[in-house]
Amino acid sequence: MNTGLNRTRWEPYVWLLPSLLLISIFVVFPILIVFKLSFSEISKAGVIGGFVGFDNYVEAVHLPAFKTVMLNTLWWVLSVVLLSTLLGFIIAMVLNQKFRGRKIARSILVFPWATSLVIQASVWNYIIKYEYGNLNNVLLNLGIIQQAINWRSSYQIEFVWECWVGIFVTVPFVTFCVLSGLQSIDDSLYEAAIVDGAGFWDKLRHVTLPMVRPSLTVSTVLNIIYVFNSFPIVYTMTKGAPAHKTDTMITYLYMLSFYERKKGPATALSVIGFLILCLCAGIYMVSVMRKEEQL
Amino acid sequence: MRFPEVKQQNRKMLILFLAGLILTLILMSLPLYSFDVGVFTKKSANTFVGDEKYQTVREEVEGVAEEYRAQGFDVEIQENVLERVNSKGKTTSLITFTVNQRYSKNLFSFLGKGFPSSTVLAAILGLMALALILEAAGLAGTDDLLPRYLDKRTARLRSAAVAALILALLLVPVFILMNNVIFFRKLSLYSAGLITEGKEAFYAKLDNFFFDGQMGENAEEVFSGLKINTSPMLWLMAATLFIALAAAISLRHGEIKSSLLRGALYVFVVIVCLITLYPYYVMTITAFRSNAETLDMYFLHMAPTKWLWSNLTDIVQRGVPRYLLNSLFVAGGATALAMLCGIPAAYAMARMNFVGKKAFLGFVIMSQMFSPVVLLIGISQLMNTLHLNNTLWGLMLINAAFNQAFAIWLLRGTFVSISSEMEQAALIDGCGTVGALMKVLLPMAAPGIVTALIFVFINAWNEYTIATILISTAQNRPITVGITQFSSFNMIEWQYMFAASLLATIPVVILFMSIEKHLTAGLTSGGVKG
Repeated sequence: MNTGLNRTRWEPYVWLLPSLLLISIFVVFPILIVFKLSFSEISKAGVIGGFVGFDNYVEAVHLPAFKTVMLNTLWWVLSVVLLSTLLGFIIAMVLNQKFRGRKIARSILVFPWATSLVIQASVWNYIIKYEYGNLNNVLLNLGIIQQAINWRSSYQIEFVWECWVGIFVTVPFVTFCVLSGLQSIDDSLYEAAIVDGAGFWDKLRHVTLPMVRPSLTVSTVLNIIYVFNSFPIVYTMTKGAPAHKTDTMITYLYMLSFYERKKGPATALSVIGFLILCLCAGIYMVSVMRKEEQL
Repeated sequence: MRFPEVKQQNRKMLILFLAGLILTLILMSLPLYSFDVGVFTKKSANTFVGDEKYQTVREEVEGVAEEYRAQGFDVEIQENVLERVNSKGKTTSLITFTVNQRYSKNLFSFLGKGFPSSTVLAAILGLMALALILEAAGLAGTDDLLPRYLDKRTARLRSAAVAALILALLLVPVFILMNNVIFFRKLSLYSAGLITEGKEAFYAKLDNFFFDGQMGENAEEVFSGLKINTSPMLWLMAATLFIALAAAISLRHGEIKSSLLRGALYVFVVIVCLITLYPYYVMTITAFRSNAETLDMYFLHMAPTKWLWSNLTDIVQRGVPRYLLNSLFVAGGATALAMLCGIPAAYAMARMNFVGKKAFLGFVIMSQMFSPVVLLIGISQLMNTLHLNNTLWGLMLINAAFNQAFAIWLLRGTFVSISSEMEQAALIDGCGTVGALMKVLLPMAAPGIVTALIFVFINAWNEYTIATILISTAQNRPITVGITQFSSFNMIEWQYMFAASLLATIPVVILFMSIEKHLTAGLTSGGVKG
């Protein structure tokens, strides 16, 4: 569609220029820097030396915490994305019903999405404190437990709590994605299904799921990327302690470069993370493009 | 009498309703609570189970218990063995014998005893009576009609009856929990000496409840070993009340199945909402508590005992207004910049055809994928080169860049949805492309633009990661970094942290709620998250 009357060939690019510049300087350029640094020798003080090939990568892979951190990252992404998708889907199904107070419920559900992650993580950090945390206090006051429970007795449990906070803040996003998909379904489809004698599960399988699949795909792929990139939750709640056992890749590379001053392996790890993201992004692009073509 | 089966169903439901209420009352008069009060205690040191000393003490205690039994009391001996290995490696043991007297209480005996739960119980009974009266008043003219054809007055009466029953039902767990708070938590804290406030009044109430105030001075000693046993029948009582409620609902609405499903839906929604709001509740109450109270292990209240508004003035002294202003500056600037760059790009994407359009779209979407953390070393290097390290300008530029993708994506969607005819007319009238954009398209696209604007603003406002990396001096901190200053290695001032968090959260939550609808529409086509 060309609506311009006397439009020169290069005019569209002028319109794109500011945006292109902004992204190039502050997103693309840092990527190039990281790539270059990952093949360079970097001293503890941050002085950049010459080309060292894959030395940084070798060092990164042989870091003692490397394996734990990679496994943690996998668990973190898998559990948060899967559970929040499941929960979000169920909540969206319920919110799609017509009932009094639905607007209020929707507004309340927006809360975690609109709140800064660092604030969320701090509040949960306080809630699950053993000595004076609010969860123990409330449960004791309600008479549900008789003795204060140590909610963070081991690093594994702390990691589970971090995953919980991750789920807590991710669910609204999934819910609203699915909800927008659900609202686009024509009621006549359900009516036809009912005429055909479909029960609840049939309707879910043959009408609802196929119709919300596009929005579910978008939200899932995006969530993989966002959850993978998530930094404040783990950093606020445990800082990866003890000994990087609760670190994910993102917090670990922050610790590596700013606390342990191992910039070389940190840049190598950045590139590895970057490549993983590229893979996810590629999948996302394909799914979005396909959707574009459908429209 | 056109619907005999309806009449029958109505009558069935009325009977069920009455039966539910009566059964509830019967259950209430059963001994649902039993209390073990220690009437005699004997401690025996260096005694092991089964040895000679144990036998003699045991016999003595049993003698005491017999005496009580002879007087017709229901008593029971309880044995508590405490074994410990001392520093010399020798095992020591202390056996405590307690003769417990068991008191069974039905729910009516709680009435008028001055416990907070007594009031709740009175309310439950009152509401049940009210429901009964309302239902009886709405009895006339209902028998032979479908419930949905009830006349207005009857429908209202029955609605009110249902509401009263729902309230009564909700109060049952409150009553149970309140009792538990009093007997478990308070008593254990008082007897361990962990709290003292209101102790005497509390023991006087207990004394009054069990012994009509006869224990007087000794109450504290007598009740130190008080134990409470709750019968699961209590929950049965709630269940029968629920049946009465279901019957009342079906008298009002007709079908019981859909009413119950609706009820389940509400329960689910309420639970989800409560869990969602829980951290905000904690944030709010903690923001107004004193430091001592935030660290109190034995905090018995659900809200601050005294709302300390001074916390808010305290954080003003601690630089919070400065942080808020910084955040406002960064987020405002980033939004403006993202829009300035994003609107032309989105316009070109929506209205023009050019080589590389798809490539640019891919480029934009890709840029959304990379969180600053993966690139943080590159970013901090770049900021050093540009001399923007530790400046709000640097923060603003990066926020704008990382929000570009969303801005373009959402704006493009809005522009595409608007027909281009008006602009073409404007172009023919002699407006330039810029003029057509400004005068025609932008006003029409206002809702979409506002949505994008607010969303970028919120993202930038909530941003924490880049700010921790780039900002090193206190006066340049945005609020998200600012709140972490209240937590240091040896002391965390939770009340200040959450007071500041509250100030940082309320405006964005309200803003977000205002765009939620538009955002949902633009979501699946764009795909965005903070």
